[in-house]
Formats: sequence, structure tokens, C-alpha cells
Amino acid sequence: MPRPPSPSIPEKEFLYSSLKQSLRLDGRNPLEMRTPALTFGPELGWVECALGKTRVIAQVDAKMVKPPPERPLEGIISIHSELSPMASSEYDSGRPSDEEVTITRMLDKVLRRSDVVDKESLCVLAGQRVWHLRLTIHCLADAGNMLDCSCLAGIVALRHFRRPEVEVVGDEVTVHHPSERAPVPLSMHHTPYCLTFAYFPDATILPVLDPSHLEQTLSAGLLTIALNAQRELCVVQKAGGVPLAPDEILRIVGIAVDKAKELDKLVEQKLKEDWAGRTVEVR
Amino acid sequence: MSSKALRPDGREAAVLREMSIVYERLDRVDGSAKFGFGETKALASVSGPIEVRPTLELPSQAALDIHIRPLASISGTDSKALSANLKGILSPALLLSHHPRTLVQIVGQALCGTDSGSGMGSVGRGWSASLIASLVNASSAALINTGSVPMRGIVCAVAVGRKASESGGTELLLDPSEAELPRLLGGGCFAFFFSAVLSSAPASDTPPCSLLWTNYTTNTPFDEAELERARDLAEAGVREVWKALKESVGTMDASQANIAPKAKKDLEAMEEGINAEDADESDDAKMEI
Repeated sequence: MPRPPSPSIPEKEFLYSSLKQSLRLDGRNPLEMRTPALTFGPELGWVECALGKTRVIAQVDAKMVKPPPERPLEGIISIHSELSPMASSEYDSGRPSDEEVTITRMLDKVLRRSDVVDKESLCVLAGQRVWHLRLTIHCLADAGNMLDCSCLAGIVALRHFRRPEVEVVGDEVTVHHPSERAPVPLSMHHTPYCLTFAYFPDATILPVLDPSHLEQTLSAGLLTIALNAQRELCVVQKAGGVPLAPDEILRIVGIAVDKAKELDKLVEQKLKEDWAGRTVEVR
Repeated sequence: MSSKALRPDGREAAVLREMSIVYERLDRVDGSAKFGFGETKALASVSGPIEVRPTLELPSQAALDIHIRPLASISGTDSKALSANLKGILSPALLLSHHPRTLVQIVGQALCGTDSGSGMGSVGRGWSASLIASLVNASSAALINTGSVPMRGIVCAVAVGRKASESGGTELLLDPSEAELPRLLGGGCFAFFFSAVLSSAPASDTPPCSLLWTNYTTNTPFDEAELERARDLAEAGVREVWKALKESVGTMDASQANIAPKAKKDLEAMEEGINAEDADESDDAKMEI
């Protein structure tokens, strides 16, 4: 579809004037996230994450492949995140939109290059057999801040996934079906979370966390921070033309740390609940 | 009979798995629905009629654009082939000439995993017949949910599997589940078109229907009689699907996932009251006749 219509002038003015009074159209506080709703599928590694009306499905699967000769001791992780017109008809498949490029690049930085999964633990037989993890992100509905939702879905899917157990005797590799031996979780170094803040052209408006679609469209710039609950910063990305003082960035990082801790608590709790209700067969 | 209750989940040969229809209310599309036979689930969304890109524009009718996406990986050749097939299946049901120079966009998303074949992308077993049937039904439900695309009927589909029977011949199974797939000797999806404009005789409780499309294939030769049997079995099953779809329309507003339980109960009670009066009316509205 050609360019989507931009918000009308009354809509724009209403949003700006309410934000000036620290009021958001959905009744949240400026620094309040929509509470993520995590739903787990029948299979391990299938997660649906919803931030309000923004919905994303993440799925992980693993297969065994021969590693490339230059990295014989490391497993492979690939991330697919193609936006379909299901998210919104403005995303036409075939030509990647700016949004899609941003999401793909950020997912790559947050989930792959920040060393979330221990790649060496995915090696089965040096130079011969390694696991290839494939994470697929499907954006079902874009109601703003798809990036945070996708990152959260992706990281939870990796935490939720378990790969089949493998036995190596000499050069022989046996993959045990989940019904024979309990599958093993991935060995993960840390759990980064992505948090997006929207800045508006009027400098007197304070930034808002987890912008809705309208806020995102009318914002002048986005600051995305990926960090884990241990206060380690993974990615800081600032897009858009709003000049920010160093102090402001430090203040936002401080806020993000608290939010990441809250998110971590929620994710751990959900994963525990799901695991308690799930019976993985072991004979 | 020896063929009774032989299936892993205890079903008889001509029984469908439990169907689930949820109208998802995705935010930025006009209509969406999730349809599942047991765990074989698919999600579809419809937008339309919307503005069309000049390259797709047709002067005399709306362009129908269908994307099919597997659960894992990006869509490969098999998904593209399936979307071309789905275009053929759904276009007889749509009155596309009512909105020339526009676009009707349908996105189908497989929601079940590697076991059902879609997870392997183009190198796996491909799309299983049950999953294709789920996709067709999800698309039909999403089109009903959309309401803005005029239709002349509804397309429903169901899968039929073919299995070697104990007596040495072959036996037909309705709606094979994932667990049964490895033991099948073939099968396929049967899509039927339900519409009052058809001349075939209607059943007592469903409108007339006719076979629209099938991809019935087997790995040993089959004769006309077998195809006829498979068709009849599928027709009986597909009438159940139609009834389930019709029933779901009555509770469309209540099936919203995030609706409060109490409000949902009120709505249902309200719907029941309404349904008693206008059961026939809603049927007519759906058929657009």
C-alpha cells in the first residue's frame, strides 16, 4: 500500500497538548509500560507476546548442521523477522520498510550479537555437527512499539525453548527424541530487554516509555535501550533528530534499569508458571 | 467393525477433531480469525478494499493479494504455491468486481509447529492437508469478520487421509491429526463452496455445496470410486465446519480475547436472546443473497 495517511492536525494537537500535561491517551503514566501478556504454545519455544494491542509471535526451532569451516566450534543462530501486511497494510512484503529494517537490525544486535546464547554450547562435534537455532518473529498487529514486543517475545522464546539431548560416542552422534530423554534448555549468558522511549518535537514534553502507535508516529525521535537486569547495557540506539544532553541519556538509562528489573521478574515468573504446568516426558 | 476407534486419539474414521474459532481482533487489519482442528491452527487476516499499488491495480475488479507464511522461517516456494492455490479457492466466493481498482489483502499464518510440516520450510514435508484446510477456514472466518468484502458464499475445507487397512485395502480417515501423518499413504484437502446460488440439492440444515478444489494425492494408484468416497466423507465433514462457522458468527463480538469474563457472559446471554429470533436472518446476511 502506498504511504499511510498521517494523523490529522486536531489529533496531533490533542496528543501534544495532553502530553504537555503528562497525560497519555490510554491513561498510562509517561514512564509506564503496557504490561506484557505472555502466552506459551503447546510446543517448547513458541511464545506469543502482547503489549496492549501490539502482538508478536516468536518461535524457535533447532536443527543439526555442519558448521562453516572458519567457525568449527560455534553453533549458528539466525533470526527471521519479516513484517507481513497482517501487522498493518502499510508493510508490504517484498520491499522492506524502514521499520522492518530497524527491527531486524535491533533484533540482531540484542539477541545475537550481545552473546545471549552461549554459541559454543551449541557445538556437538567440533567441525562436524553444531546446532542451528532459528528464531522466527511474526508481528501480528502493530499498535506501536513493535520492537520492544519482538525483542521480548524473542528472548522469552529462547528461554522457553529446549533442544533435544544429544549423546556423542566417538564420532557417532545420537539425538534423543524428547520422549526418551528430557530436552535441555539453552545455555544463556544473560537476558537483555529492550525499552523504547519516544521524544517529541516540543522539548518541554517529557519522553514517554513504550509509545503507542499514534505517539510513535508523532514522535520526533526514539531512544531504544537494551539492557539486562544486572544493569549491563547492551545496545543504545537513538534514531531521529532530537538533540539530547548526556545527562538526559544517563537519566533514561537509570529509569530503564528499574524497568528491566521489573520485566525480568515478570518473565521469570511466567516461565516458572508455564514450566510447572507442563509435563515433559521422561521415562 | 474393525475400523472403529482405531485412531490414536480414539476418534472414529469420519469424526473431526474439535474445532476452535476465535475472532482475534488484530488492531490494524479489517478482520481476522484463528481456526483450528485440534492443535492444527492457522490465523488469517483480511484488509480490504484498500488502496492498491499501481502495479497490482486491475481496471475491472479488486486485486486479490494473498500471503501465506509458515510458522518457522520465511515463506518459500511451497508457501507461494499455496497462496496461488488459495487465490483460486477464495476468488469464486468473493464479488471482486464490486470494487474495481482496489486491493483485498489476505494474510494466512500457520500457527502450529514443526510436526505439522510447515516448520521445515521448503525442505520438509510441506504443508499438511489439515493445515491447508485450517488456513482456508481461517480465511473464510476472517472474511466474515471483515464484512466489507462482498461475498457470494463461503468456502470451507477439510482434510481426508488415506491409510492401509488391516484387511489389505485402503481406508479413508477424516481430518488426520499430526500423530497420524507418518502412517498415511496419501490424502488431501477438499475445499467446498457453500452458496444458495448453487443448483445442487441443499441438505436439511446447510445450504447447497459443491467441491471447489482438492489436492488429493496418493502414493499408489487410486480409482474414481475411491475419490468419490473421499469426496463424500469430506462433504459430511465440511458441513460440520460450516455449522461451526455459522455458530461462531453469533458469538463474534463475545469471542474477543481480552474481553472481561463478566461482560462476555452478559454478551452471550444477549446473543442468545437475539439468536433465537434472527437465526435465519444471520444466515442470509452471510450468504449475501
